[in-house]
Amino acid sequence: MRFFHKTKIRFMEYRWHWIIASTVLNLAAIGLIFFGPGLKLGVDFAGGTQLTLKFKSEPDLGRVRKALEALGLGDVTIQRFDEASAHEILVHMQNPKGQEGDYTSRMIAALQKEFGGAQAIELNLEGSDALRDALAQADPDKVGGTVDERRAHYKPMSDAILGLRKQVGVVSGPEQLAGPTALSAATRAYLTQNAHFGDFAVLAADNVGPVVGKDLRQKAIYAVSFSLLGMLIYIWFRFKLQYGIGAIVANFHDTLITLGALVITQRPIDLPTIAALLTLVGYSTNDTVVIFDRIRERLKLERGKPLITVMDEAINATLSRTIITSGLTWAVVLALFIFGGDVINTFAFVLVIGIIVGTYSSIYIASPIALGMSNWIEKRKSARRRRR
Amino acid sequence: MQRKLTWRWALIAGVTVAAVFFMLPLDKRIHLGLDLKGGIHLVLQVNTGDAVRAEVDDAMERVRGDLTAKGFAPVALQRLPDGNGFLLKPAANTAAKELDKVIDDRLPEFKVNRGVEVTATLKPEVARNIRDMAVRQGLETIRNRIDQFGVSEPVIQRQGIEGNRIVVQLPGVDDPGRVKDLISSTAFLEIKPVVRVAPTEEALLATTNGKAPEDSEVLSGDIEDIEGRVSGKEYYLVKRASVISGRDLRNARRSQDSYGQPAVSFTLNLEGAKKFDAYTAAHIGDRMAIVLDNKVRSAPSIRGRISDSGIIEGNFTVQGAEDLSLVLRAGALPASITYLEERTVGPSLGRDSINRGLTAGIVGLVLVAVFMLVYYKGAGINANVALVLNAVLLLGAIGALGATLTLPGIAGVILTIGMAVDSNVLVFERIREELDLGKTVRNAISLGFSRAFGTIIDTHVTTIVSALFLFQFGTGPIKGFAVTLIVGLLISMFTSVFVSRTIFETELSRRAQAKTLSI
Repeated sequence: MRFFHKTKIRFMEYRWHWIIASTVLNLAAIGLIFFGPGLKLGVDFAGGTQLTLKFKSEPDLGRVRKALEALGLGDVTIQRFDEASAHEILVHMQNPKGQEGDYTSRMIAALQKEFGGAQAIELNLEGSDALRDALAQADPDKVGGTVDERRAHYKPMSDAILGLRKQVGVVSGPEQLAGPTALSAATRAYLTQNAHFGDFAVLAADNVGPVVGKDLRQKAIYAVSFSLLGMLIYIWFRFKLQYGIGAIVANFHDTLITLGALVITQRPIDLPTIAALLTLVGYSTNDTVVIFDRIRERLKLERGKPLITVMDEAINATLSRTIITSGLTWAVVLALFIFGGDVINTFAFVLVIGIIVGTYSSIYIASPIALGMSNWIEKRKSARRRRR
Repeated sequence: MQRKLTWRWALIAGVTVAAVFFMLPLDKRIHLGLDLKGGIHLVLQVNTGDAVRAEVDDAMERVRGDLTAKGFAPVALQRLPDGNGFLLKPAANTAAKELDKVIDDRLPEFKVNRGVEVTATLKPEVARNIRDMAVRQGLETIRNRIDQFGVSEPVIQRQGIEGNRIVVQLPGVDDPGRVKDLISSTAFLEIKPVVRVAPTEEALLATTNGKAPEDSEVLSGDIEDIEGRVSGKEYYLVKRASVISGRDLRNARRSQDSYGQPAVSFTLNLEGAKKFDAYTAAHIGDRMAIVLDNKVRSAPSIRGRISDSGIIEGNFTVQGAEDLSLVLRAGALPASITYLEERTVGPSLGRDSINRGLTAGIVGLVLVAVFMLVYYKGAGINANVALVLNAVLLLGAIGALGATLTLPGIAGVILTIGMAVDSNVLVFERIREELDLGKTVRNAISLGFSRAFGTIIDTHVTTIVSALFLFQFGTGPIKGFAVTLIVGLLISMFTSVFVSRTIFETELSRRAQAKTLSI
């Protein structure tokens, strides 16, 4: 089986059409980033506190907002997370201006107050030690003895309840307590009577203060800039400067367009998103280098042939490889995008867009730039020769 | 030829066995990051200014004491706004010789500017040393506390060699609020003589013109009823100088007070016991305040001589009493702590993301494997063997390096696998091209590998170079990405060039005059 066997597409002939199309797309992305809605920075870079909450049933976002705004701290944004049926939401609150410190506990306490049950044993929020102590205090099994003896008795039960929570995310009612066999009948009855099955559980909490936020931003920028520079220098050293520049411009092109897509979908930029963008840069460069390699090889074999023809031949010769590799990688990230779950969804999204753009840019951005610069250098050289 | 192949296979087998050895058992060898398995990650800052300020305060008290003893009580003595030193206005009658002597004796660590007023600032190297010690002590204290709390595989590190940040990672903790309190409680315990007690601050200071005398300070404490409910506040005027402090403790543990409520009892070390014994013997009938983090927990009367033990009462839960005795045992923090970053991932979210990620990854890999088989037939088997080997070696390397697998790390794995597939595709396409040009099977394979080799090296090295920079400059997740990427690419070069070629050549050596190739 062979696809794209012995193609003779004259890619470079139409390069200007594509360069113009790319320029338009890039300008649009720049417009979206700087003059449009702008990049939505996630908690890593914007700072603040972010809670991932799972509710028992469709949460009333108005109440969530009201409870948090009553704290009188920073701006609150609420966003749905995962499929609607999972009842999961992301809540983000800015730290009060310039303030370090931990706001997680205060936010959770405020929500707990709003959704009731701050007094009783809160089955969806309590840690296993606190739960064990609460049971040891109430002692529904009438164990008696010292605190430590009672603790030892109730420890397996509190662990079982935590295990249940891990399994279901949020314990929605007393009927679910029938599950764990470690619970004694009396304890089960006691919890059914006295425990509060809160409306929500905290799946994750992130707090990034302004100092760390700034730090992360700066380090991400350093890391990305230096790695691009390293790439440029290596390609310059192995090929020629104009090829290195072609590859770097292609990288910027891919990143900009992908960032534009992130703006349109209003997905937040976090550290994993940066890792995804770097993956895309690595991928796109890989693609570019394969084509450059073939160009270099052909140039050695067929001296005197115009560069534009050599480039077309090189791109055609590697076309089947380009399509197969891109197609396979794209299939993998598409699987991640569809089945991978919410945590890696943005990550997969970047690559689903990025691989398409990256493959295209190796052919229509990196190569034409290397071609244009080579021609320009050639012209200047010959002009100088003529002057002499 | 045959012998060369044997060697090649021996090397491949050796590397594979080593990898399997390092990756098994999976759950022990492959450390998952907190984003995948749940837990808490904290970055905290030790406010080293506190320690510097305490040092300056100490020096001020020494100077005040000496001068007052000689009859030259200073007119003013105040800390400089930046906290690094203090300003002294000596009394007009102060003998210059005596002042010089006090300064020389008491302030060897200060740079002193003498004039009508004396300004003393800590020497920079001394201040630096104090800050560094504060962070080191803080690190030690936090480590003690967490060890006593009992968390498996905690990571507690200073961020950078200098600097005042500490990173704490605790996998599997299900009550982050409690752990954070445990870490950040300064747990500074002091026992101070009580001068008098009053229900309001004004009443307390009514006899002293609304200002506390220089050697005393005002502290507050909660009033509790028998059941431990807080019913109001009380104010205490206490001496600044403490009788004993947390440094004099030998041990602390949870116990009960006379009402059966949870309390913390402590024992003193030899030196502390000596001081406490002498003080209580001389002050029977007086009250002393048990002060924790500048708040009066209780203020019992001294009924008799106490030598080496005491009890802290007042509104504890069992867990509260336990946590306090834990931090008292582990020692006080030399300075306060601010949380700069906190990340808590619940175990259910972590487990969910692993399951879904794995499903997706497996679906993706099966797709790739099936395609390679259909498109390259026999050679596809070859590529798939290389691919599986790639995954095994990568896991082995992660296990051997003790690296942690995080979500961004998985991104690195995906890019690696993409490039490993790409290397195979590059070689196969090249072999097909050579076959099209009419080369023999043996020649085509040999040329295909050698021509694709340059390309494979270039693509891999380009990415490794940039990953090295990411490793150097990146933080946490980006670093994790860089590590798996670098390791993965080295392995990918090995599998796609060396292993794949060995398989082809073994095939050829079996059919010496092969006319066709399944590709």
